[in-house]
Amino acid sequence: MGSRALLLLRATPPRTTDLNLNSSFFSKSLNFQNRVRSYSVRSGLDPPDLPRLAENARISLTPREVEEFALKIQKVVDWYLSLSLCVCVFGQLQAVDLQSIQPAIRADTDGGNFRDDLPETFENREAMISAVPNYEEPFIKVPKVLNKE
Amino acid sequence: MLSSLHSPRHLLLHHRYPTLPLPSKPLSSSSPKSLHTSHSQTLPLSPPPPQSPTPTSQILTTRESLLARRTTALDLAETFLRGLRRTEPHLHSFLHVSDAVLKEAEEIDRKIERNEAVGPLAGILVAVKDNICTADMPTTAGSRVLEGYRPPFDATAVRKLRESGAIIVGKTNLDEFGMGSTTEGSAYQVTANPWDLSRVPGGSSGGSAAAVSARQCVVSLGSDTGGSVRQPASFCGVVGLKPTYGRVSRYGLVAYASSLDVIGCFGSSVADAGILLHSISGHDRFDATSSKRQVPDFTSQFISKDFLESKPLKGLRVGVIRETLDDGVDPEVISSIHGATSHLEELGCTVTEVSLPSFSLGLPAYYILASSESSSNLSRYDGVRYGNQVAADELNSLYEHSRAKGFGSEVKMRILMGTYALSAGYYDAYYKRAQQVRTLIRENFKDALDKNDILISPAAPSAAYKIGEKKNDPLAMYAGDIMTVNVNLAGLPALVLPCGFVEGGSNSLPVGFQLIGAAFEEEKLLKVGHIFEQTLQGCNFIPPLVADDFA
Repeated sequence: MGSRALLLLRATPPRTTDLNLNSSFFSKSLNFQNRVRSYSVRSGLDPPDLPRLAENARISLTPREVEEFALKIQKVVDWYLSLSLCVCVFGQLQAVDLQSIQPAIRADTDGGNFRDDLPETFENREAMISAVPNYEEPFIKVPKVLNKE
Repeated sequence: MLSSLHSPRHLLLHHRYPTLPLPSKPLSSSSPKSLHTSHSQTLPLSPPPPQSPTPTSQILTTRESLLARRTTALDLAETFLRGLRRTEPHLHSFLHVSDAVLKEAEEIDRKIERNEAVGPLAGILVAVKDNICTADMPTTAGSRVLEGYRPPFDATAVRKLRESGAIIVGKTNLDEFGMGSTTEGSAYQVTANPWDLSRVPGGSSGGSAAAVSARQCVVSLGSDTGGSVRQPASFCGVVGLKPTYGRVSRYGLVAYASSLDVIGCFGSSVADAGILLHSISGHDRFDATSSKRQVPDFTSQFISKDFLESKPLKGLRVGVIRETLDDGVDPEVISSIHGATSHLEELGCTVTEVSLPSFSLGLPAYYILASSESSSNLSRYDGVRYGNQVAADELNSLYEHSRAKGFGSEVKMRILMGTYALSAGYYDAYYKRAQQVRTLIRENFKDALDKNDILISPAAPSAAYKIGEKKNDPLAMYAGDIMTVNVNLAGLPALVLPCGFVEGGSNSLPVGFQLIGAAFEEEKLLKVGHIFEQTLQGCNFIPPLVADDFA
């Protein structure tokens, strides 16, 4: 069932591995894969484009990694999409509409105790500088900065 | 020198030295008095049943022994190091062991000799997860990208430990950057579960949990972003404490997902976890999320079991979270939770079932938030200012190759997934929606905790599983975090206590259960946990690997 959803999501070979999860927490959301598809088509969300993501994240990937990660990440993203569905799927179960819910950026405990915005001298500057792989007083050295665009 | 000092068992089991003179009064005012007093009073009177020693505070008994000159910090340190050297080849809990342990122990002994005041953790061997910065030891976060890195500062939690007299025994293994639930994700080594060496200790703080379980140290620090203290505590049969978000400063904790990360505590008794938490809690100007609230003396209200009434928890309202006893959970785990709740009922609690309707949404929401935040937090590992650099003739290649070589595959995947979820146009579908779920979960917990004093759930859907069993299936591994991630989303404190055993082939394996409280109510959790632990019968949570040393 999972691989059928994938085929509809993107034109890639079907996954050979099955999800093989004995947890009901997953099977619940996976049962909604067909709706995931319709949601993703409707919302126009493209599946992960690994080479582009790798470039944005500044991580070079080997062709083998691209292949391996693409499958695994697609699996997880399919599962993420179950959350995007919770308005229509879980919403029916719970009568909860996420649209009206305020997002929470972190736990609602204390915090926001900012110190004064004043510069302070770090005491152990020597140790910090000695960790720099390529240092030439007073600069951190890097190779030439080329702009590909 | 007393011959009884060659094994730490004498510090664990009071009845081993019932005839020795006890200090007439605590020598320092900084130790929790009521515990101290009650222990002194009850020591000679109450030998625990031989089959199941009641967990006692190793920190307090060590302190008593040191201050009464029955032992020295050096002797203790040597005993622990001997045990550590014997068990470490089987366990691989440590990435680095300090070479200053004996020197620091001698320092403590000199202070005691001179009758100088020593801190509440004087001479206590504490292990620290290797994603918490230590100025005198490497801090790698389990990643090649930080191989050999020595931070120029101590994390605030580590600084506080040192100020309390603790001896940092070493740095413990973890899943790279805390991203994993088995400690197999370390770039350096796989840690084994002390109860069964073919099984995982859990993770990501697997090294810290295994070290306490195998008595390689007295207590340890871990970090908990989605359950990384509580799940390994359950797998290794030790006490794990995740404090309220904001209770402990994260300054010097290698950031993974900043809206969720907390530093947590492991101990072999509830009292030790509470005393350790007390020593690292409090506001820190270097962490804007740290709370300015008063830090209570978490263990001062503890009552020794000999002074307990028949229903010491009478009136306490306990809610069992219905969704956590679903059909995806190991039946044996469910029966240990039922056992634990019956025990709480016998202690006087009113146990009812509660529902958290958004519970199952917590898992995908957690992974979206954690991977998104990690993709941002880990952008600092670019090979330029610290960490390993791969030479290149152009800056972008230097970044890309340093990161490609430095990060393991789970870390790369989470960064890429986070990059995807935060891409322009996707934010509303993923990140924002996950934050909306966080609001729902917070409200669910608030409702449940308005009607109950504490909530109960398993700490994990199963006991420890085999090394390699879930390594190549990210979703199977993520599913194991279902019991814990919601608590991080809501920022609440939670305590995991060993409560029973399940069959695990040749060995029985410990199982823990989770007590969840309202924000900043660690004191209540610890008090309930202490009574639970003191009255639990027929369980001995010392693994076979080291049981001979403590028999």
